[in-house]
Amino acid sequence: MNQHILKKEELDAFIKKLAKRMKVVAPVAKGYDNFAFAEVTSADEIALKYVPTILPPKKYFMPVREKVLEFSADAKGFTQKPVVEYEETAIFGVHTCDLAGISCLNMVFSERPRDYNYLTRKDHLFIIGLECLSYCDEHASCALVNSHLPNGGYDLFFTDLGDKWIIHVNTQKGEDLVEGMGLPKASAADLAALEQARAAKREVFKNEIGVEAKKLPGIFAKAMKSKVWHGVGERCVSCGNCTNVCPTCYCFDMADSVGLDLRTGARTRTWDSCQFETFAKVAGNENFREERSERQRHRYFRKFSFPLDKFNRFFCTGCGRCTRTCMAKINLKETLKELAAEHN
Amino acid sequence: MKTANKPAKAPAKAPKAAAKPKVAFFDFASCEGCQLQITNLGETLLDILGAIDVVEFREAISEKWDKDYDVVFIEGSIGDHHAEERLKKIRARAKVLIAYGACACTGGVNGMKNSFKLDEIREHVYGPDYKWFDSTPTKAVHQVVKVDYFINGCPVYAPEILEVVKHALRGLPYTVPDNPVCSECKLNENVCMYERGVACLGPWTKAGCNSWCVNNGNICYGCRGEVSNPSKAAQDVITKYNLKPELIKNKFDMYNKCKENDQKPGKGK
Amino acid sequence: MPTQLVKEEIKNSNWKLRTGRIIAAKQMTPAEKWFDIALDDGELDHEPGQFVQVEIFGVGEAPISVCSSPTRKGSFELTVRAAGRLTKHMHSLGKGDVVGIRGPFGKPFPVKLMSGNDLLFVAGGLGIAPLRSLINYVMDNRKEFGKVDILLGCRTPKDMLFGDEVKVWEKRLDVNFNCTVDRTDPDWKGNVGLITTLIPGVTINPERTFSVVVGPPIMYKFVIAELLKKGVPEKQIVLSLERHMKCGMGKCGHCQIDHPKNYYCCKDGPTFTYDEVKDSPKL
Repeated sequence: MNQHILKKEELDAFIKKLAKRMKVVAPVAKGYDNFAFAEVTSADEIALKYVPTILPPKKYFMPVREKVLEFSADAKGFTQKPVVEYEETAIFGVHTCDLAGISCLNMVFSERPRDYNYLTRKDHLFIIGLECLSYCDEHASCALVNSHLPNGGYDLFFTDLGDKWIIHVNTQKGEDLVEGMGLPKASAADLAALEQARAAKREVFKNEIGVEAKKLPGIFAKAMKSKVWHGVGERCVSCGNCTNVCPTCYCFDMADSVGLDLRTGARTRTWDSCQFETFAKVAGNENFREERSERQRHRYFRKFSFPLDKFNRFFCTGCGRCTRTCMAKINLKETLKELAAEHN
Repeated sequence: MKTANKPAKAPAKAPKAAAKPKVAFFDFASCEGCQLQITNLGETLLDILGAIDVVEFREAISEKWDKDYDVVFIEGSIGDHHAEERLKKIRARAKVLIAYGACACTGGVNGMKNSFKLDEIREHVYGPDYKWFDSTPTKAVHQVVKVDYFINGCPVYAPEILEVVKHALRGLPYTVPDNPVCSECKLNENVCMYERGVACLGPWTKAGCNSWCVNNGNICYGCRGEVSNPSKAAQDVITKYNLKPELIKNKFDMYNKCKENDQKPGKGK
Repeated sequence: MPTQLVKEEIKNSNWKLRTGRIIAAKQMTPAEKWFDIALDDGELDHEPGQFVQVEIFGVGEAPISVCSSPTRKGSFELTVRAAGRLTKHMHSLGKGDVVGIRGPFGKPFPVKLMSGNDLLFVAGGLGIAPLRSLINYVMDNRKEFGKVDILLGCRTPKDMLFGDEVKVWEKRLDVNFNCTVDRTDPDWKGNVGLITTLIPGVTINPERTFSVVVGPPIMYKFVIAELLKKGVPEKQIVLSLERHMKCGMGKCGHCQIDHPKNYYCCKDGPTFTYDEVKDSPKL
């Protein structure tokens, strides 16, 4: 596919044109170095340099609350209608860590039995990536899991070349958009500048924990009974922040509710967290992950062990959100280092 | 299911739509602000009124009903012998009893009375003739009679009123969320109060309010009560943000002093 | 606004419910009620060991093992213990009431592998419910299997489920049946003690025996230890594990088992061989 060019001063026009076609969301500053994806209509609302947002863009793929079934029961009997709600939306400024997260979720929900709510919504989202040429902060570990470089999963991808962006076009939908806006094709000099930026980036982004990623499966194979989990569990508040902010966590809960007429109702899917005490509890009150240490271990296994068997990749994208958001100082990089040290 | 406050055994079948349940509101030691929340429901209120028959409601109507009640809402905490007797009589006539608002569910701010010696606080309030005025340490409603449903909060959160009413109408148990407020606050993408350098009780307080206060720029004051299994590692949170443990405890006492009534003698907090 | 929120019907949604009518119901014990359910759209088409999600209008869903054999057509049976919100409510339902059904879900008992072999069934408490689907399947295809032993344990004689059927199993010449209670009552003339006490008395040829064990979590460890002592190979000890299956599609995460392998109880289970799950710290 082609590479196009957008001058920095033209970003506002680009966003405005895009906003005429569909809803545009992008990272906006919330103060205290916090950011969130929110609707924008002009470029000056966008935080182009940002630490990963509080919630990842998964909230557009899999809303926090989502109605999946409407039903009613009356004298005529039981009727039902499975539904999906979506909105044509462009997500601007998605970092490579979050692109990796979206790829993970795509795998999960494409697996049979398919999740048509997710898959339908996905088809109405237009993704514009934005490359990081330096670290967002010290909590990121994207180089460890190789998500610091673009690896597909977007329609367009922006890389900063000083006074302009070079845009990699990855889909026909993306091509139609940039062609429609008349964005010029990148020159040979632009492509060379991109190569140079990438080369410089490789010098900046290095394995953040000093343990090779290929050693992690071996470490986790022996980690089920590790003492590290006790330390982590003792600190855990069980607030679920780490899973809510994770770009690859997708566990959910289902609940049925009825209207005041007591005849119509709906089934809603909401985000859930394996860190909550009731998550693995069954009706007879047996709790299969009663201890905080067991729940934290489970979270780490769901990032570094289980998905390797099933999807042949880590489900950690190195975004650093879980560490940033943890009020009890549970640190992903430190935990991995501790596990590795115990292993040796 | 982990149920923070276990409701009574649900009746086998929901009441028939034809007979609208007789509902009454009673207030004890409270500001009656939670009753006002009902009138603030707007259009939803009309829907609720279509489903129930309100026979006593001091904030809006005054009528004396001498039969049994299908559902009673109890607002306020219990702070003297007379109130205790009155509550027991109401309970005896009520099929379903709902503790309504923080004062009823946790004792609320009235619980702060229990931080002082009873006679000292009576003298402070009523003056030298304080012995003429009946007063007992504050109790939450469930510390006096059996409670079927809890609607926590100061004030109560409107969407939760509706949920509990629907559960009560169908005779289903309602589970008060028992995860920390953070679990909802994060989904609302609020900047964590701790990042703003302010101590917030969200990490130890029961969710269910959709982090209403934090969404509006306030901290969580713990009005919904402590989660049943709070983190033992509060110390980590407290030291990460350079806070003092007493600060958190004092903040909690504002709404949760009556919790000590639930604890067995000799069992520390 | 250039775009707006669109709401669309999904024709092939996996959340769609099948409607089932309760054609018979019976309180078996104060805690357990039995239901016979016929689906409006035909057979459930399940295999022994699978479960369904039962939905009650607006109340929610709960996973329940099918306790009838697929060889008995026209309807399927559930035994429901009043343990949670939905199951307590379900006890108020009876003949004529309608429930929503999703499923069947899960990996069934490995019936094909077991054929031609001897079978040793070990059921504790409500574990008889999922096991009954297999036992009756075996009874209806009796000649395909070798020697059949059934061991049943329950807390007290009053807690025994499917008493009438148990009497039939007891009398059949092609089945060896034995049962025990934890606590006796004056009318009980049988064994008293934990189910593990019955295992040493069973004569088996371990190499050609499949043992299927279903019961409360606490039971597995002790029963498995006895079976291993008898020499039953790990791959021939089959369990049915209980977890909180919510979606039934291997996605929601609630039923995942603590195990180095990525097991979802709803999809990779609920039936597992001991060999598959022995590394779980929470077996």
